[in-house]
Amino acid sequence: MIAGWENMSSSQRQEAFLAKWASGEGIEFAGDEARASYQYRAGLIMDAVKLKKKPDRVPVVPLVTFAPIGLYGYSAKQAMYDPHILGKVCLDYTRDYDVDATSIPPMVMHGPALEVLGYHLYKWPGHGIKDEQGYQFVEKEYMKAEDYDHFIADPTDYWFRVWFPRTHSSLEPLAQMPPLYGTMELPMAAPWLCTLGAPPIQEAYKALLEAGRISFEWIQALGPYMGQILSSGYPMYAGSATKAPFDVLGDSFRGTTQLMMDLYRRPQKVLDAVDRLVPLMISLGVGGAVANNNPLVFIPLHKGADGFMSDEQFTKFYWPSLKKVIIGLAENGCMPCCFVEGGYNQRLEHLAEVPVGECAFIFDRTDMARAREILGGKSCIGGGFPVSLIMTGNAQQVEAETKKLLEAAAGDGGYILSIGCAMDEAREHTLKAFIQAGKKYGKY
Amino acid sequence: MQDLVNAVADMMEDEAMALTKKYVEQGVPALQIIDAYKDALSIIGKRFEECKYFVPELILAGEMMKAATEIIKPAMKGGQSNVEAPTLGRFLIGTVEGDIHDIGKDMVHMLMDINGFEVRDLGVDVPAQRFWDEYKEFQPDIIGMSGLLTLAFESMKQVADGLKAMGVRDKVKVIIGGGQMDEHACKYIGADAFATDAVAGVNICKKWVS
Repeated sequence: MIAGWENMSSSQRQEAFLAKWASGEGIEFAGDEARASYQYRAGLIMDAVKLKKKPDRVPVVPLVTFAPIGLYGYSAKQAMYDPHILGKVCLDYTRDYDVDATSIPPMVMHGPALEVLGYHLYKWPGHGIKDEQGYQFVEKEYMKAEDYDHFIADPTDYWFRVWFPRTHSSLEPLAQMPPLYGTMELPMAAPWLCTLGAPPIQEAYKALLEAGRISFEWIQALGPYMGQILSSGYPMYAGSATKAPFDVLGDSFRGTTQLMMDLYRRPQKVLDAVDRLVPLMISLGVGGAVANNNPLVFIPLHKGADGFMSDEQFTKFYWPSLKKVIIGLAENGCMPCCFVEGGYNQRLEHLAEVPVGECAFIFDRTDMARAREILGGKSCIGGGFPVSLIMTGNAQQVEAETKKLLEAAAGDGGYILSIGCAMDEAREHTLKAFIQAGKKYGKY
Repeated sequence: MQDLVNAVADMMEDEAMALTKKYVEQGVPALQIIDAYKDALSIIGKRFEECKYFVPELILAGEMMKAATEIIKPAMKGGQSNVEAPTLGRFLIGTVEGDIHDIGKDMVHMLMDINGFEVRDLGVDVPAQRFWDEYKEFQPDIIGMSGLLTLAFESMKQVADGLKAMGVRDKVKVIIGGGQMDEHACKYIGADAFATDAVAGVNICKKWVS
């Protein structure tokens, strides 16, 4: 634990955790040059999120998911079924494209574990979609309206005994488990223990254990590649991930359609549910960041974008719980890095409510000049480069657009150059042009 | 039936359903009740354009329409529908190959339908060949392609290129929709227009056929 932690403010804790991360402490670097490069790159990100005026240059951090896989001639399926392909591709991409931070390889996940679980929250290559495509979310009403009270009262119990069975076909028998609580007393423990022995429940736990075993082997294979990325001098974006409570409900539980109508049909249940999720989302983000010694916490924002709801609905249902998560992460020394999908042109004034220098916002379709105007000096901003140019433009167009974006948004610090979406695909010449232009025109 | 129009337009779902049931029981012709819903949808569309209403209201409006149709169905006489035949034009829509997102597409479907278009919805993950085959059979005035993922750019381009190869590209308007659509994508794909929200897309289509 960092000395003096208890007496530090949120901002001081963030600075201390960022400094620890940027120092590369705990990483066995390939050499002094690699250490220096890591400290420089992580330092650029640290300077940006902490709003240092006139740092050396803008950090260049394109967000990628499956893009590196396609760039090196592999299919998404190959990467999801062979950790050596995934690891090598991520390592090669990071070095060849010389980004300032790279995405986390485990985000691509491992097909065999999903098969054992009978996972159907997403389709993935070879399972419902083509081998070449990255996985896709299957949004449905996994949580029924009558489930709200259970979810609010005991989210973990609901998650394990109701939601798992609805999203993982191998885990359906878990719906027959009683809640844990009888185990507090010997005379009351029998129902739980006896049900555990029922053959269908045994099979469900076996599936869980097998998925865990496969995943453990997978990360043992993938881990060394991640180690090489770090030891070569490249930090990772980010240390962990969490979500806005409203998005948890809207993406994985109620589904967009049902949740949007819940705003009218049962507004208080929505408010109670998002509030209940706040401490859970904070501890999810903090736990991963501490485990990985990386304070950056990735938070993709989905359902609160312009057009998705009114300002009044955003203010009432979406923002308060997200703001609490942001503040809670900062209190624990983590740096929330929101990835603001869609447009937030109507929302920027709300984002400005966050304490100064305690959160970063990477944007997608938001007007970046306006983002600079409203958030400059308050929060680190980033992104705003259209992925359509990477996919359909040429190198000259990309260079010109990058230069224009930096002029509008980089200000005197507090900016991360990124693309408006986490890329499932990319093209070599335009992506390289983007990175090179970012380094050329991003000097302060 | 101004009370029904207002209830739907003001998102008062319980009242709208109660009034719909009441008017059906009173023997009000199905067509008139549907007209009241059309009027309400028109108000809702306007409020969306004025940035008073957003996705929650469009979705709830769609649900109220669906529920109302179920209530009105038994009152429709014989085997024929009392609903006015669509007159504005034919609209073919689908989410392109590789993409399974459908909420935006479903909103456009509903709005185009209520605005008097004959809509054929191909669903999601629609291969280019199916767009071409359906074009030949349905002869739409407008083709709408929906997609949220970057792979949609190539799928959409494939459809548009195929229409050119068939020699029919100049006979049909093509509009693309989705969160990543912009002028770069529109030009690359060879579409006539793009939209990032349902109401804007519908308005473009209405202008084309007027």
